[in-house]
Order: sequence, then C-alpha cells, then structure tokens
Amino acid sequence: MNLSLFQSEIAVVLLGLGVLLADLWLPSEARNKLGYAAAAGLVAIFLYGFRGLLIDPVHVSVFPIGGSKFGMFIQDGLAVYFKQFFLLAAAIVLLMSVEYSSRFTAGISEFYSLTLFALLGMLFAASSNDFVMMFVSLELITITFVVLNSFQRNRMASLEAGVKYLIIGALASAFMVFGIALVFGSAGTTNFEEVRALQKTLAANPVFLVGLLLVTVGLGFKIAAVPFQIWAPDVYQGSPAPATAFLAVGSKAAGIVLLMRVLFGAVPMLTSHATKLLIVVAAITILYGALCAIPQRNIKRLMGYSSIANAGFLLLGVAAAPHEGLTATLYYLTGYLFTVLAAFLVIAVVLRETESEDISVLHGLGHRSPYLALALTLSMVSLAGVPPLAGFFGKFLLLRSVMAAGTLDSSYYLLVAVAVVGVVLSIYYYLGIIRAIYWGGTNPDKSVLRFGITTKVALAICIAGMLYAGVLPHFLVQTASNAVGSSLHPEPVTAQTSAAR
Amino acid sequence: MITPTLQHYLVVSGLLFCLGLLGVLARRNLLVVYMSLELMLNAANLALVAFSHFNNQLNGQVMVFFIITVAAAEVAVGLALIVAIYRKRQTAHVEDLSSLKF
Repeated sequence: MNLSLFQSEIAVVLLGLGVLLADLWLPSEARNKLGYAAAAGLVAIFLYGFRGLLIDPVHVSVFPIGGSKFGMFIQDGLAVYFKQFFLLAAAIVLLMSVEYSSRFTAGISEFYSLTLFALLGMLFAASSNDFVMMFVSLELITITFVVLNSFQRNRMASLEAGVKYLIIGALASAFMVFGIALVFGSAGTTNFEEVRALQKTLAANPVFLVGLLLVTVGLGFKIAAVPFQIWAPDVYQGSPAPATAFLAVGSKAAGIVLLMRVLFGAVPMLTSHATKLLIVVAAITILYGALCAIPQRNIKRLMGYSSIANAGFLLLGVAAAPHEGLTATLYYLTGYLFTVLAAFLVIAVVLRETESEDISVLHGLGHRSPYLALALTLSMVSLAGVPPLAGFFGKFLLLRSVMAAGTLDSSYYLLVAVAVVGVVLSIYYYLGIIRAIYWGGTNPDKSVLRFGITTKVALAICIAGMLYAGVLPHFLVQTASNAVGSSLHPEPVTAQTSAAR
Repeated sequence: MITPTLQHYLVVSGLLFCLGLLGVLARRNLLVVYMSLELMLNAANLALVAFSHFNNQLNGQVMVFFIITVAAAEVAVGLALIVAIYRKRQTAHVEDLSSLKF
C-alpha cells in the first residue's frame, strides 16, 4: 500500500492531535494562539499539495474490501482539486476562529482540533470511492459539526442550533444508511466503479433505485437543497460565526463532491435519465432561498438563506451535467469559498463586539473600519453576480452550461428563467447589506473595530481570490475542467430523456 | 415451522425503519426522538446483515460495524448536548427549542 497517497490526511490528523496535546502544556492565555500554528500547518500542506495539481493527476484507488479490484479510497484529479479547496477553507476558518476566540468561554483548542477533524472528514469525502467510505466520512463531518455548532454552551441559541443539526443530521444519515443497505443488497457491492459496471442491469431494479434515492436524501441534507433545507437558517443563525462559515463552505462542498461521485461516478446512465428531477430541485432551491432571504434582518440567518439559494446554483451545473456543467459548478464553488469566507470574516469581527445580530450592527461600518466595509461590500457584490468578481463569472458559466443543455431538452430553458429571477431577487437583499454599511444611519457604537494582522491577510487573500477568479478565470476553469475530465463520467442528457418520454 | 427468508428479514427491517421515522416525527421528547433515530439505524443494520447472509458476502457485516461505531459516537455527542440543554432550560421538549426565529 502506498502511504504517500494519504499524506495530507495523515498530516491533518497529526496536526489535530498535536493541537490537543499542546493544549495540555500551554498556559491558558497562549492557547488561542494555537490556531495560528494550526493554520500555518494547513497552509504548508496546501502549498505542498499543489504538486498534485501540476503533475498529471494519478488515478489510483486503494483499500479494496472483499476481494474487489477497486479500492474504497481514490486519488484522482477531482480529489486533489477538492482537497486543496478544503485545506484553504479550513486555514481561513482557523484564522477567523482566533479572531473570534474571545467569545468562547472555554476550550478554544478543542475548537481548533475539531475544525481539523471536520476537515479530515472532508478530505476523505473528496476521495471516497465506496458507499461505506462516503458514509463514514460524512458522519465524521456531521458529528464534529454538532460540537462546533453548539460550542458556545452558555448561549441557548448555540445549543439549539447544535441539537437541530444533530436531530436532522441523524435523520438524514439514517435514510442514507438504509439506502446504502438497499444498494448493497441489490448490487452486491458498495464500490462506485463496480456499481457503474453493473448499472445497465441495476437500472431496472426498483430496490436499487429506492436505495439510491435514499442516499441522495443524505447528500441533499449536506448541501441544503430544498426538501432537506429546513435546518439551515436556524443552524446558521445559532452557531458561532467560524462554525457557520465552515458549514457554509466546507460541509456544502463535501456534499457536492460526493453528489458528483455518486451521480457521475457510480450511476451516470441513471443520472442522465433523471435530469428532470434535478432541474426541479435546483429551481425550487434557488427560488426558496432567494424569496425567504428578502425579509430577513439577522445577518447570519440571511447568509443561511443565501447559502440555500447558492446550493441551488451549484445544482444548476449538476443538472446540466456534461463536462461544462460540472466544471462550472467547481469554478462557482471556488469563487463561493473566497466570497463567503470574506463575508464571514467581517461578520465575525463585527459580531464579536456586540450581542445583537441585526443588520443594523453594520451601520456606520464604513467609518468604524473602511477595510472591513470594503471587504464586505466586495463580497456582497460578488454574491449578487456583478461583473468583475468571481460570482459573476461563475453564474455566467453555470447559465451557459444550462443553455447548452437546453438545445436537447427544452425544460432547461425554464431553469434558466428561474435562475435569472433568483439572481435578480438576490441583488435586492445583497445590496440591502451594502446600504446598511454606508447609508444605514448612525450606529450608537462608534468605536474603531480592531483586528489582528492575520485577519487582514486572510481578508486580503479572499479579496485577491475573488478578483483573480473573476478577472483571470482561465487557469481555474482549466484546472476544474481537468479535474472533472479525469474523474467523472457524465453522459449527455440527449437521447435518453427523449426516449424515456 | 418455516425457515425465515430474506423477505422476512427485510419486512421486519422496513417496519422498524418506519416505526423509527414515526417516532422522530410524532414524539416530542428529545430523548425519545433520539432513541427512534437509533432504531432507524438498527433497521438498516438488520437489512445489511440479512443481505450479507443471503448473498454470501461479508461486506455488509463489515459495514454494520462501521455503523455501530458511528452511532456510538453520535450518541455520545447527542446525549452530552441534550444534558447541556436540560441544564440550561430544565426541559428536553422539542417545543421549547424555539429561540431561533426571525
């Protein structure tokens, strides 16, 4: 067995255990600095991981179970792409947690190490090639997030967020496990590649189809797509800001990568028959998120609904399937990382100083800290999809891929219309935040907001990322396209859908 | 005396799963809701073991071990959280969890 395939996972485990151990010997004042060490470690792993992007993506799977010739852990272009994504997100979230640490009464080192263990789950999710691996890595993410969400034990809202995530998360995983049992029973294997080899015969097996549907319930919960989105606003609102940020970026991306692996790695043929279902889910998710966000006054709850709407946009690419659609989803997700983390860095600094989470806490931010105001403005502009930034180009690529699919199946044009309505609605509430920053009236608290140099750097990285992805998208699109091309097997929507009708 | 077949096991497993789901939806005590969730996981375990036995494959039984381990971790975290809520509010009822609204 080749241990070098697991190097980033091993490094992250060691880092997480190291943080826990260091907590024993460090004096309590020094503990919140551990976050810097953890983030530095992640940046080192991140930079080292670029080797994997530059050389040709290897395609190896290891750890076969039960005499299968395919393993349950796969290292390919898609896995490398998402691992870089998760490492960067976790590093920025750790810096954010250090900034926010004064709001935690105790156990800040546990917060860092749990973030690292959640990251570990995401790394394994990116490499899953088996339903068992998928289940275990998803549970690693869910259970660590339950603790992260309820970390402010003295705040009822945080505990409530934790318990809601726990119950609905456990319900989703129960559905998923039952689905996996049915898939195993009908296919005789849980390996994605073996299922793909059998998919022609399995397509006619109702037990297999029900099992697959139940598995997608579990994944839909993770990405907060519509029938399974109820938890998102409450949990986003109640959780501490760094946990919310990681939930919005990391956990959602883990759901997306697993959805891609299942839909286009295990059962691409069935997926090309079921595009109608994906279209409906994507359309409802976009509309639900955008409509419900409009009346919100709580910033984190607003971000929760915005995250639902964005889940819908990510599903646009999955619904439009072949190569371009999946590439666009990967690109959009990367732009989303920079945008949302920039927003949450600002939100974490602002909310650290106040109990209220109403939009009015942003009033006068332009005077209290011009840099934070600029970062939040750019982030909202990018989320709204205004040209030079990443959000615009991501939405453009997604809509273009859906339009391309529309030449084969006209219901895609309806999806484009819904997405455009969603974008227009979203401009209203994103610009509402910008209005609160500059024209919101006066804030009784006029103190200058202070924050560390690392937060400045993290914000600068996010802003640079938004601009780079938006202005010079070529490299990112190319990398995403290679990742999709080397790992997934999407089938064209074409003839099958019309034959099915 | 009939020997149980795969169908028998699957029917029991499906019934257990539905009972668990009913419990999650209908019961109002957090602990009972949590027990019902465990029942749903065990329904899946039963189905996996049955499939494994009747297909002559051990993979399903291996998966059951993973599920049991994960469920144990989930229970540890979940019960700790429910205790924390009880200390704060002196209640473990679903209706009392309503501070998060807009």
